[in-house]
Parts: sequence; C-alpha cells; structure tokens
Amino acid sequence: MKKGKLLRRARPGTIISYVYLTVLSLVAVFPLLWILLSSVKPKGELTQNPTAILPSSVTWENFKTVFQQLNFGTNVRNSVIIAGSTTLIAIIIASLGAYGVVRFFPRFGKFMTRILITTYMFPPILLAVPYAIIMGRIGLMNNRAGLVIVYLSITVPYALWLLVGFVHTVPLEIEEAARVDGANKIQVFYKVVLPIMAPGIVAVAIYTFINVWNEFLYSLIMMNSTEKMTIAVALKSLTGQEVLDWGVMMAASTVVVLPSVIFFMLIQKKIAGGLAQGAVKS
Amino acid sequence: MRGNKKMIASMTSWFFVLPAILVVVLLMLYPVTSSIFYSFTNKNLIKADFRMIGLDNYKAILSDKSFWTAFVTNLKWTAISLAGQLFVGFTAALALNRIKRGSGIYRTLLIIPWAFPSIVLAFSWKWILNGVSGFLPNILVKLGICETAPQFLSSAELAFPTLVFLNIWFGAPLMMVNILSALQTVPQDQYESAQLDGASGIQSFCHITFPHIRMVVGLLVVLRTIWVFNSFDIIYLITGGGPGNKTMTVPIYAYDTGWGMRMLGKSSAVTVLLLLFLLLVCSLYFRLLNRWEKESTS
Repeated sequence: MKKGKLLRRARPGTIISYVYLTVLSLVAVFPLLWILLSSVKPKGELTQNPTAILPSSVTWENFKTVFQQLNFGTNVRNSVIIAGSTTLIAIIIASLGAYGVVRFFPRFGKFMTRILITTYMFPPILLAVPYAIIMGRIGLMNNRAGLVIVYLSITVPYALWLLVGFVHTVPLEIEEAARVDGANKIQVFYKVVLPIMAPGIVAVAIYTFINVWNEFLYSLIMMNSTEKMTIAVALKSLTGQEVLDWGVMMAASTVVVLPSVIFFMLIQKKIAGGLAQGAVKS
Repeated sequence: MRGNKKMIASMTSWFFVLPAILVVVLLMLYPVTSSIFYSFTNKNLIKADFRMIGLDNYKAILSDKSFWTAFVTNLKWTAISLAGQLFVGFTAALALNRIKRGSGIYRTLLIIPWAFPSIVLAFSWKWILNGVSGFLPNILVKLGICETAPQFLSSAELAFPTLVFLNIWFGAPLMMVNILSALQTVPQDQYESAQLDGASGIQSFCHITFPHIRMVVGLLVVLRTIWVFNSFDIIYLITGGGPGNKTMTVPIYAYDTGWGMRMLGKSSAVTVLLLLFLLLVCSLYFRLLNRWEKESTS
C-alpha cells in the first residue's frame, strides 16, 4: 500500500527527469555528431544545404586532403610524442610523490593541498610570459622537449592530487608484511604498492594524456614552425588560409576530438568525482 | 651505525617527494617569481635588453580604460558562466540520481563536452553557428523563428551571451559528475526517516541533501571560479575578444599586450594583477568553507 503510493508520487518527477536529460544529451552530443557528419559530406553540400542532417553520400575526400595536402600526420605524431613523454614523466613523478607524501610526510599533506590549490590559481597566461622568456634563453623554444618540460607544470600537480586519493586505498597491513619480510621502502613501493595502485595510475595517465593532447595556449606560444606544431595549434593555423573549407576543418577536427572522447569515456568512472572527493579527504 | 641507517631511511623518503617538489619549485614558483620581476621592467618579446621601470607598467594598466572594461567583462563572464554551469550541473545530477534505468548512458552522453579540446569546441560551434551556412541560423530561419539568419558570433549583442552559453556547455558536465558523486554519498536511510516524518521533497533537500554536499559544491565553485576567470582558449579561439572588444577579458588583454604589442613586461604586470585578484577572492571563499567545516564537525 505504502509502496504503491510512493511509486505513484515518484512518477511525474521521474518523467520530467527523463525529458530533461534527453534534451541536455541532445545539446551535449550535437557538436560531435555535426563534426562527424560534416566531415564525410561531399563538397558543396555543406554550403548548399546547411540544414540537411544526413549526408547524401559518404566521401573520404576531406580526410585525404587533411593527411596528404596538409600533412596532418606529422602534427599527430608530434602530439603523440609530446603527450606520451609528458604523461610518462609526470606519472612517475606524481606517483612517487603521492605515495611519499601520504606515507612519510603525512603532516605535510595539508600544506601540500594548499600549495596545489595555489598553483591551480596561477593563470596559465601568467606562466606563459616567463616560459617564453626562459625557454628562449635556454634555446628550447620551438622544441618538443621544451614543450614537454612546460607541460610537466600543468600535469604533475593535478596528477599528484588525484593519485593521493588512490594511495589512501592501499591497505597499510600489506605494506607492513612486506617490510617484515625485509623489503626496503623502494621495493615495497614497486612490488606491493604499484600493483595495487595500477588501475588508478592508468586512469590518471590517460587523463593526463588527454589534457596534454587538448592543450592549446602553451603550444601556441612555444611552437612556431608547422612541422613542429601539435595538432591543436596546427588546426588553428588552418584558419589562416584564404578560403575556409569547413569540410576539411571538420575532418581535421574529427582526428583531434575522437581519441579524446573515446579515452575519456573509458576512464570517466574512475576520474570523474575524484576531483572533489580527493580534495575534501586530504 | 643506527644513526646511519636512519639517515638512509629518511633519504629514501625524500627520494619519493623530491622530484615533485622540484617540478613545483622550478616550473611554477620560479616562473611566477620571475614574472613578478619582469612586471617592473620594459621587457620586450623580441629585444634582449631591458631595464627596470618601477611601477610604470602598473600605472599604465590601471589608467587604461580598456583594461577596466576587460575586467568588468571578466567578472560578468565568470559569474554568469558559473551560475549557469552550477544550475545545469546540479539539476542534471539530481535528475540522474533520480532515474533508475539508463542513467549510465545519459551520463556517458552528457560528459562528452568535457572531453572536447578547446580548438575543436571553437571550430565545431563556429561551424554550427556560422552566419551564412551554419546549421542553427538556417534552421531558425526555416522554422520561421527568425526572419534573417542571426549572427551569433559577430553581432555586438549576441557574441557575449553566445560565448557564455558555450562555456556553460563545456563546463556543466564537470559540475554534474562531481555533484552526482557527492549526492551518492548521502545516506539513504536519512531520506526514508524524513519521509516517515512527513518531510516534503524540498524540506529533505534543504535539511539532508544540501548540508551533506555543500563542502563538495563549495570547493567546486572555488576551483571553477579560478578556472573560468583564467580561461583563455575559448574566447581567444572563437571571437578573439571582438566584436569591438565586447568579449575582451583580462587574460585576452594580457595576451594581446604581450604577444600582439610585444610588451612582455607590461603583460606580466597584467597577469600579476590577475593573480592578486584571484588570491583575494579565494581567501574569502576559504574563510567561508572553513566555517562550514567547523559547523559540520561540531
């Protein structure tokens, strides 16, 4: 009796929820859908029939232009190299640091959270000026290694923050057992702690990779020759051409956005929500 | 002997944290300090030599009318974007928390904007909103809602609201996901007993839901305020501050000063002012959050 009453009362709210979520989802998904559809529409159709949703026929011409004429493959390679190296270095530094702070300097933890929030406050444009000056002085301007160094500044603090939350999930007893068996701190870390943290580390690594892959401002300031540009800046340089070919631009956008979206969906359950939780816990 | 062992043990402890400390000091604290230094110089983007000019940069900026216009635009940009993101994120999280079937699919679809690189966000929306052959202006004309195709990004009235909408589109998913995970930590039995006591939905929201999640929401608001206030990419890539400086914010102003006019010293001064303002806002926020924390523990 009571249950039935509760159900009946729940209904209007539930229906409204479904309608609301459907509308929001359409708005959220539409740009991605529109990029994909526009990238395979035949030339002319984009401008002649702007409200047609489905392409009359599917063509890969735009993608051919992107990779053959614009040589976008080089930029994709740059981005993979830069994002890959940054992620590898940042994850090593951050997982060592997260474990070290939680286990050996617990009182430093609160102070560290403060510092990380403060670094989060630094406007990216504030750091852009000294980076441009310093990197120019040490000859790392327009250099992939230079950009990797700059990217450590945006990736390490955040990865550290997320990983601190994962360190807390490692049971202390297992570590102590290993210590009793005679393992030193470093052995305990890579034989016992790392395997337990591995799923978290993979998620944070993918998140770091996406963030670097997507980054724009520092890449804009650091890289000025086309063959060294990352994809984000190479994509921007397409707008400098005389006639904007939206089909080609959407094909290039597809190449940039698809990996981001796919990887993000894989890790969203692990990362999402960690931001606020990790911050409240520590 | 024992002392030696202890020293090695503490050295290995430092081995763990030292790289992270080096990154923060060398890549963040040092550059920020040097930026403060350059803000008192006439450093140029191309020329190597420069000299100290005292407070001249600051005087020039603070007496520049377009800086203050950018600052006011920046405040509006942050307040409206944040309110919108919070509203959409909050309502979507409540809706997701309520439904039983399909919440996984909705969640996956709704977070897609979060994964968008800013350059793709800019391109896709510029294309959708394109005044000649964009989808939205044309469909509005076709449906008879507008007589002529609206120029969302180039008209002086529409450019700013359109950018704010895009920023809400981009930022709401992060709010939604974090609020949702906070909602899921609220103990269900409290709702049930409140319902037995005859509390209405709004009452249980105010007395159970909100006190439980306000720390998370508060922190989110702090972090996103900083982030939105500093945001550069979306505005730079979509309007570049135009039309007629209508969407010019302080980060764009700083970029134009440093890389457009090549005055890196002056640009530094702008960004230092930006940081000072954010520090002030954040200290106010944290005072409030500390009070909430004390209330909830006492």
